[in-house]
Amino acid sequence: MRNLRAWFLRLGDAFRKQRRERDLSAEMESHLALHIEDNLRAGMSPEQARRQALIKLGGLEQTKESYRDRRSLPILESLLRDVRHGLRILRKSPGFTTVAILTLALGIGASTAIFSVVYGALLAPLPMPHPEQLVMVWLKMDGDRNVVSPGDFFDWKQQSAVFQNLVAWDEATFSLSVSDHPEALQTRIMTPGFFDMQGIPMQMGRDFAPEEAELGKNHVMIITHRLWQQRFGSDKNILGRQVRLNSELYTVVGVLAAGMPDRYEAPLFVPMALRPDQITHERHWMTVMGRLKPGVTLAQANADMDRVAKHIAGNYPSSNEGVGALVEPLKNDFTSRDTIRALWLLMGAVGFVLLIACVNVANLLLSRGTVRMKEAALRLSLGATRFRLFSQFLTESLVLALIGGVLGVALAGALLQVIVNLLPQFSVPTESDIRLNMPVLLFSLAAAIFAGVLCGSAPAWQISHGNLSGALKEGGRSASNAGRHGLRRGLVVIEFALALTLLAGAGLAIHSFWKLARIDLGFREDHILTFTLPTQFDRFPNNERMVAFYRQMLERVSSVPGVTSASLSTSAPVVGGSWWGMEFSIAGRPTDDSASKPGARFQMVSPGYFQTFGIRILKGRDFTDQDNAGAMRVAMVNETFVKEYLQNVDPLAQRIVVRQLDMSTMGPPVEWQIVGVFHDARNRRTRREDAPEIDVPFWQSPLPYVRISARTAVEPANLSNSIAAAVHSVDPDSALDHVITMDQALDEWLADDRFAMLLFAGFAGVALLLAAIGIYGVMSFVVAQRTHEIGLRMALGAGSKDVLVMVLGEGMLLALAGLFLGLGGTYFVGRTMNSILYGVAAMDPLAFSMVAAVLLAAALLACYLPARRATQVDPMVALRYE
Amino acid sequence: MGEKKDVWQGTLALMVLKTLQAMGPLHGYGIARRIEQTSGDLLIVNYGTLYPALLKLEQEGYISSEWGVSDNNRKAKYYKLTRAGRKQLNKEERDWEQTTAILARFLAPGEERS
Repeated sequence: MRNLRAWFLRLGDAFRKQRRERDLSAEMESHLALHIEDNLRAGMSPEQARRQALIKLGGLEQTKESYRDRRSLPILESLLRDVRHGLRILRKSPGFTTVAILTLALGIGASTAIFSVVYGALLAPLPMPHPEQLVMVWLKMDGDRNVVSPGDFFDWKQQSAVFQNLVAWDEATFSLSVSDHPEALQTRIMTPGFFDMQGIPMQMGRDFAPEEAELGKNHVMIITHRLWQQRFGSDKNILGRQVRLNSELYTVVGVLAAGMPDRYEAPLFVPMALRPDQITHERHWMTVMGRLKPGVTLAQANADMDRVAKHIAGNYPSSNEGVGALVEPLKNDFTSRDTIRALWLLMGAVGFVLLIACVNVANLLLSRGTVRMKEAALRLSLGATRFRLFSQFLTESLVLALIGGVLGVALAGALLQVIVNLLPQFSVPTESDIRLNMPVLLFSLAAAIFAGVLCGSAPAWQISHGNLSGALKEGGRSASNAGRHGLRRGLVVIEFALALTLLAGAGLAIHSFWKLARIDLGFREDHILTFTLPTQFDRFPNNERMVAFYRQMLERVSSVPGVTSASLSTSAPVVGGSWWGMEFSIAGRPTDDSASKPGARFQMVSPGYFQTFGIRILKGRDFTDQDNAGAMRVAMVNETFVKEYLQNVDPLAQRIVVRQLDMSTMGPPVEWQIVGVFHDARNRRTRREDAPEIDVPFWQSPLPYVRISARTAVEPANLSNSIAAAVHSVDPDSALDHVITMDQALDEWLADDRFAMLLFAGFAGVALLLAAIGIYGVMSFVVAQRTHEIGLRMALGAGSKDVLVMVLGEGMLLALAGLFLGLGGTYFVGRTMNSILYGVAAMDPLAFSMVAAVLLAAALLACYLPARRATQVDPMVALRYE
Repeated sequence: MGEKKDVWQGTLALMVLKTLQAMGPLHGYGIARRIEQTSGDLLIVNYGTLYPALLKLEQEGYISSEWGVSDNNRKAKYYKLTRAGRKQLNKEERDWEQTTAILARFLAPGEERS
């Protein structure tokens, strides 16, 4: 303990040198004065008295020196001295210092900014107590995770032994009427205990009570802090207040504390109350989260859930045969694999930028080596050790890197603003808090130290271990040290290899995005306005009433001036919606194996859907208004469906057997006559292959998950008010949600890829610039060094063209060597990026040759300037100079 | 950074602490003179070696220092024992007695040898 205390005091004293030094001098002075006085009293002469006192002390400077050694840490003092020396040296050459610091700041800043995103999205612990206990629980069907049926959920809750609690939820759109206008709000319908289980605090009020999951007691709601402020004027007495929600009265029982929940997509929460007939094992629609008991591992939880799933499968073989359960950490669960991969790839890209920046600065440091060589030689001959010199030069580059780091953090702050604004919504989890916090700053510090050591050690070694007698002899004017030039050329080659690797990544990202943006979507995306309506769960007593209601609404929307056609569907291309993955069979075909029934995407559309979206009908006919509840059940399938299941038969002669789909249950199997085949339209993320799809008339199989889309003759956004008025003329409480034109939707759809592409391209641009600066620096230096030789050549008859070709040739040789070396890197990059790319091979010759050409052009330009300077050498001047 | 743990360093520290206990607050010169007198001028030492030792004791928290004025109106830095220093002195005194007792037994005319 005492040693530690002393050590800290000594550490502190290293920074309070001047005051302590004055103190020491005063103490020595007083000591001598006291001693001299005694000596005088003993009868000595003043001179003798002083002399004796000094002798007895053992020398004033010696005492001070041994005192100083004890006072602070000598190693720290020499470090501080080096730092001061370094700062002085750096101040003396502001041009070099500025370029070096800016280069490093760029590298460190970019790395820090991306690391903030990676840390916030992937690494930081979730802001809840014991986040490691929080898990998502999924059904495992065909090896994939799937949402859960109510029957499974309640069985899990009862039979599993590893959870403290399990909650389930679903989301829907509700109409909230606080003022005159109803407002569509994303609403989370959930079993009680969701917030308490996660440990999410309340501003006031409480989480739902268990009995509020019973029908009749479920008209209560919880709101986020933000909604409380925005829609309820921060009403302090809101608890107990009644609010109109989907035309019914709900009582507010809780307001969440400000913070993370404000970033949820849903600002409104109501309890989930299920009728007994809704609790089946067949319909899967719940998302389930749980909190593990303390000490339970994921493996144990999965083992326990396997047991439970087997037990359930024994009880309900028809629905649960072969269905398992999957327990996954909550962390990263809502970040797609593609996003995770893209984030790490971006991290890699900025790592390359940092490396290139380091190489560049190393090169700059080496070019200053000539001057510093003389200083080093002088100090070495005066008795400094080589280690001491090495550490001094390394300290200098560390100082450079740390200043660059500070600047880099400032840059990262600005860059982060841009990135967070560009960051597509929901591509990182709402829980993630992206900012410059402590771990991020520690990362920046580490990056700065890494950069300092990386860019400093080679030059420091070179200077402190070079052949110094030569340096002294030549008077430091022009040490034509071949080794050092070799090193500098090597660095340029490495730089170009790194730059090519990074540029190749950017080239792939750009090429992939280019292809993605020009993909055949299978429908016409212009002049479409689309929106969803609130989910009306309990509003309609029967299907006839539901169909009548929506039919009327669709008619009103269709008759809005400017609307050329309108349709109603549960889901639509690109914007998505509600659809069901349904097992089916073809009527009259033997079902070979009940366990491996084929599945298809199943959705309901109104007549006019294909016309509104401009989806071509390849065979047969479109749905009509006559395809209603009283008529024969009909279906349309897409091209992929025909390709996969109806090869070599006439699709229009086939009937599909699918179980009836009701609000909460699955009815008996019913037959649907195929009447048409339509061209595939892109529904999901485009990277995946097209899926087989079955569309049936909404009028024959209505469900209250409704999206209305309109094709317009005018700019679609201009019609949103009149279309809203048409909807409200049927139901004033129906709020329009997610109102968007298809062009906007496509724009959002591509946002993730555009974001990644822009960042990749940006970093590659920086790399290109740095590489060009690097080769420019080296070639300028080479030309300056060889002025004499060039002058001689010209005097002997070489034309300026010869000189130009010579210098350019040397520069291009370096660039080409770098490109060649970088080919290996591009292969690696292509392999790594493959999964986030669309329609581009890992070795994409087009992208690679483009970036190589860009890099070579940059190199040519960068070499041209010094080469031209070489041609302007006046032979007479150059030769006289010697 | 290892400390040099030679006997002299240790004993000097003990002597400083003991002196401060006996004399109360005292300046560096006074401590040096006192040690010299007590040892009967046998320990001829550079007064200068005292100062790093004082600094070390201060860093370890056994003594504290303060500028004051001497009897004949000289500004001087006065050192005094802290509570930790007093405890340390007791401990070191005991240790020293133990050490000397053991050494005394070793150095006494050998009985086992005969």
